Amino acid sequence: MSEQTLTPQQDTGHAPRRAVVSDAPQAPANPALAGLVEHVGRLATTAGRTDLVERLLATRRRLQDPNVRVVVVGEFKQGKSKLINALVNAPACPIDDDVATSVPTSVGYGDEPAAFVFRRTDGEPGRDDLVREPIPLENLADYVSESGNPGNEKNLVGAEVLLPREILKGGLRLVDSPGVGSLDSASALATLSALSSAHAVLLVSDASQEYTEPEVQLLKRAMRISPNVAAVLAKTDLYPDWREIETIDRGHLTGIGDLPLFPVSSDLRLLAATEQDRELNTESGFPALVAHLRADVLQRAETIVARSALHDVSFVVEQMTLSTRTELSALANPEGTPRLIAELEDAKAKADDFRSRSSRWQVALADGVADLISDMEHDLRDRLRRVQREAEQAIDEGDPGPIWDQLAEWIDQRVASGVSETFVWTDERSQWLTDEIAQIFAQEQFELPRVAVGSTDGLLDPVERLPDFDPGHLSAGEKIYIGVRGSYGGVLMVGLATGLIGLSLINPLSLLAGVLVGRRAYREDMTARLTRRRFEAKNIVRRYIDEVTFQVSKQLKDRLRIVQRTNRDHFGAIADQTHRSLSDAVLAAKQTAGVYASERDQRMQVLQGQLRELEQVAGRLPALPAAPDQAKAVGR
Amino acid sequence: MSPDARADAAALVASARRLFADDPDALGVLDDLDRRLAEPLRLALAGIVKAGKSTLLNALLGERIAPTDAGECTRIVTWYRWADTPSVTAHLTAGPARRLPVRRSRGMLVIALGDLPAEEVDRIEVGWPSAVLRSMTLIDTPGIESLSLDVSARSAAFLTPEDNPSSADAIVYLMRHLHPSDLGFLEAFRDTAAGEARTVNAVAVLSRADEIGSGRIDSLLSAGKVAARYEREGDLGSLVLGVTPVAGLLAEGARTLRESEFVAFGKLAALERSAREKLLVSSDRFVRPTDVVDLDEDTRRQLLARFGIYGVRLATSLVRVGVADSSELAASLLEQSGLTPLQELVARQFGDRSDALKVRATTDAVERLLRRLPGEEGTDVRAALERLQASAHDLKELDLLSRVRLGTPPLAGPDAAAAARLIGGHGTGASTRLGLPADAGPEALRDAALAELDRWRTLGASPLADRTSREACAVVTRSLEGLLSEVGEVGPGEPAAHVVAAGGPVEGRPEGADQ
Repeated sequence: MSEQTLTPQQDTGHAPRRAVVSDAPQAPANPALAGLVEHVGRLATTAGRTDLVERLLATRRRLQDPNVRVVVVGEFKQGKSKLINALVNAPACPIDDDVATSVPTSVGYGDEPAAFVFRRTDGEPGRDDLVREPIPLENLADYVSESGNPGNEKNLVGAEVLLPREILKGGLRLVDSPGVGSLDSASALATLSALSSAHAVLLVSDASQEYTEPEVQLLKRAMRISPNVAAVLAKTDLYPDWREIETIDRGHLTGIGDLPLFPVSSDLRLLAATEQDRELNTESGFPALVAHLRADVLQRAETIVARSALHDVSFVVEQMTLSTRTELSALANPEGTPRLIAELEDAKAKADDFRSRSSRWQVALADGVADLISDMEHDLRDRLRRVQREAEQAIDEGDPGPIWDQLAEWIDQRVASGVSETFVWTDERSQWLTDEIAQIFAQEQFELPRVAVGSTDGLLDPVERLPDFDPGHLSAGEKIYIGVRGSYGGVLMVGLATGLIGLSLINPLSLLAGVLVGRRAYREDMTARLTRRRFEAKNIVRRYIDEVTFQVSKQLKDRLRIVQRTNRDHFGAIADQTHRSLSDAVLAAKQTAGVYASERDQRMQVLQGQLRELEQVAGRLPALPAAPDQAKAVGR
Repeated sequence: MSPDARADAAALVASARRLFADDPDALGVLDDLDRRLAEPLRLALAGIVKAGKSTLLNALLGERIAPTDAGECTRIVTWYRWADTPSVTAHLTAGPARRLPVRRSRGMLVIALGDLPAEEVDRIEVGWPSAVLRSMTLIDTPGIESLSLDVSARSAAFLTPEDNPSSADAIVYLMRHLHPSDLGFLEAFRDTAAGEARTVNAVAVLSRADEIGSGRIDSLLSAGKVAARYEREGDLGSLVLGVTPVAGLLAEGARTLRESEFVAFGKLAALERSAREKLLVSSDRFVRPTDVVDLDEDTRRQLLARFGIYGVRLATSLVRVGVADSSELAASLLEQSGLTPLQELVARQFGDRSDALKVRATTDAVERLLRRLPGEEGTDVRAALERLQASAHDLKELDLLSRVRLGTPPLAGPDAAAAARLIGGHGTGASTRLGLPADAGPEALRDAALAELDRWRTLGASPLADRTSREACAVVTRSLEGLLSEVGEVGPGEPAAHVVAAGGPVEGRPEGADQ
């Protein structure tokens, strides 16, 4: 993410539009929490526990920039870009009556307005490097819209706009996505993979008509991938019957799930901003949408971050209390020390087990991912083989030459649709696996006084955002797909060429021959050629399907490996830190034996002071905020 | 196409009737063909759900008959034919047709199926005494991409049947933005519309054009640019004969403008600028209780429903710049709506070809029937069919046109564009074909035609040309000859060449052309 947003944010003064955007930010509980993190961090530094300090640094980073991504999706020309512009009251995303957005654009907070594009440098495949290039904000349209960058010929992965706007201050990032034309296309696949890293999704559809079949399909898929989906009914200023449409759409929505629907008018909101008209702003319907973003999206993300920060702090405090208290009790009660050491050694051995590769959670994780990979490969292969079989049947039924274009397009669609399904499915399964591991970890967690880590609450957050959207995990898949399409263009050429060979041989020379040899032979010849064309066509299809299977399963495998690595690092770090605390405690207890009486009193005073401070901190820890509606988060 | 072609087609049907005397199924098909040949052009309005098909139909009729609503409205294929007196008939998939009561609510027909379930109704036929229907039968279809799948399926079954040529002769396809499903549908229609021959017989309409620019006053200009882009580039060009923007609601309102509405617009126009702008800022504001204007809420609601917020904005500003009376306002609104260019496009593309399209449908259907017969039966009908297919030059023009539009060889580059124009790709009038201004005199037409004829004969006779391109050149040559016989005598010394010599270049021809 951007450096700007990591630096502490200063109040940038009052934006003139704040009067209209009555949704002034309520300061989150973060400052207090941040102070606590700092304080405990200092204690840990004094105690020399660099591992715990690092953990707290990560916590602080998350607190400062929760990085809440809201992806705006929908069919094209529904007013997605304008919705974002109206939300931030600035022309952040280029809009046009005709041309559409071609590159995903993220709008986030910055002290100064700025714009960047992400371009991929051609490294070796698999290990891609992204460059972030600053561009003039006013030239953004040349990079992200279809007119300036048709079909993304500039090969951009994404764009980023930074604006000094209150609404974005809480770490909110609004992502404008290129419109989904049809569900069975590469663009839909890219959108789906963007959704998997989003905290919330807004599906935009305008008030001109009720939901169409593709829109409902998109909604359904989005709900399977993202925990927080809301629908937006745009352009209400234009359509007198928007209330009827709203009623109809709500009817459609009840069939899908419990989704909020917000009727809004971006034009009214923008007009309200220029005219400073509070009433018009209310009419635009935006206050409700902003409230949703604040309460159900930002607040929820903040709660998750706050919970995980609290977990971290209490974990660190407990770890440090353990060694301090052990040393103190060894000093105060030397005769009990051997038993204490024995107990601690025992716990240490368990901790060793726990972080070893053979511990149950490690095994479950490794097995789970291996199973998932093979299931996913099987699923993908199965779907694509079905496409291949149907294609071969179609080829056998006719002459593939003349219908090759349609056939190729059909295969393309079916493949994209199959890959999308596998993707959604894999995503669901990997979420499920993470939950599972967290539970095992919680159960297996051996008895260590007052160390609570196993709860899934703190965990969901880091895992939820593992495939980072902006630096282009999203488009790794997309690029490979485009790569496939590129070579597919070549394949198509081969198909046409074979078709043409069949034809060009009937030209001047062979025509004469044809007359001589007679109709029958000519027909036989045609049959032979037809057979050959069919054979070639099938070969092309097979090669294409092979290629797609190979590339896509590589992509998905990489994703799953990231899931595995994130889980392992997360839980492994907890196990390591526990182990280190125990080692420290044992060492401290052993050392007490060689301490002189005079030093002992002094040491005990120091330790008591430390302990008191730790206990004070522990006492000051606020209660965990209520977990956000988990049913909403997990129950899809 | 000569009127005899239609007569020939009727004769073909008659002779086929003798052949299939004991096949009731085939007789049913032949009955349909007879009716189709006797009828004016069948023009279907199709498009994705809520594209504004019924609204456009009303605009074309100049009367609000077809029911329109905010939600999905048309659920059954509805035919509008000419009749002396209004009538509504439900044709069932099984069983006899049933007369339905003719009831209207606020002008619009109320189609009450009563106890009939919608899935048993094959189509509804509305007979209406409207002058427009004398020259064409209009068919309103349910939207594709509907959430109720059976509704979409009904449209698909009608417009792109799996095993039969479509019942519609031509199609006006409405779309709001080019959507992949639009392309899919048009491809399917092209493939089934006139059998395997693949004739291009659709025009596309960028409907609800006023909404493309968010109802701004320059929306239609924007829409025009979008339409031009669609026609110029992309896949749409090969599937349709033209793309034109239409603001359906505005057109419907303009064709049915009432005096009282003109008065209401006058009151709006008389408002002071800031008050007017405030009132017109959104549809909600426009119908809200207010006393700035002397129009009650219900009147305003009616205005909005009839014209849309764009229509109200446009009409008000037209009155402000000095439109004097309701008929002048109606004319201006109609001009803005883009309906007239659409009517012209339809007349140009389908009006002159309606015979050809019908004959093509007939030959395809008869050919399909003949396939059922074993071996050598019905030789005379087969011969008649072949004769008709071979002699009907219009059919060849359509064939070549679709091939050129698809971008498949034989012709390429400027030759292809010129050929498309000459065989009537932009319209079948003589001056349009030759690319001359509409008021070009017969002399100019003749000279241009002769020059073109010469060029195409030379092209066709080139030893480098392969068979398909020679055939293509022959079609163009033949079109030009037909054109020459219309505009005047063929120049002296010109052979009445039906047959193009396959030998070398023809000497002396350039001099002939210069005369």
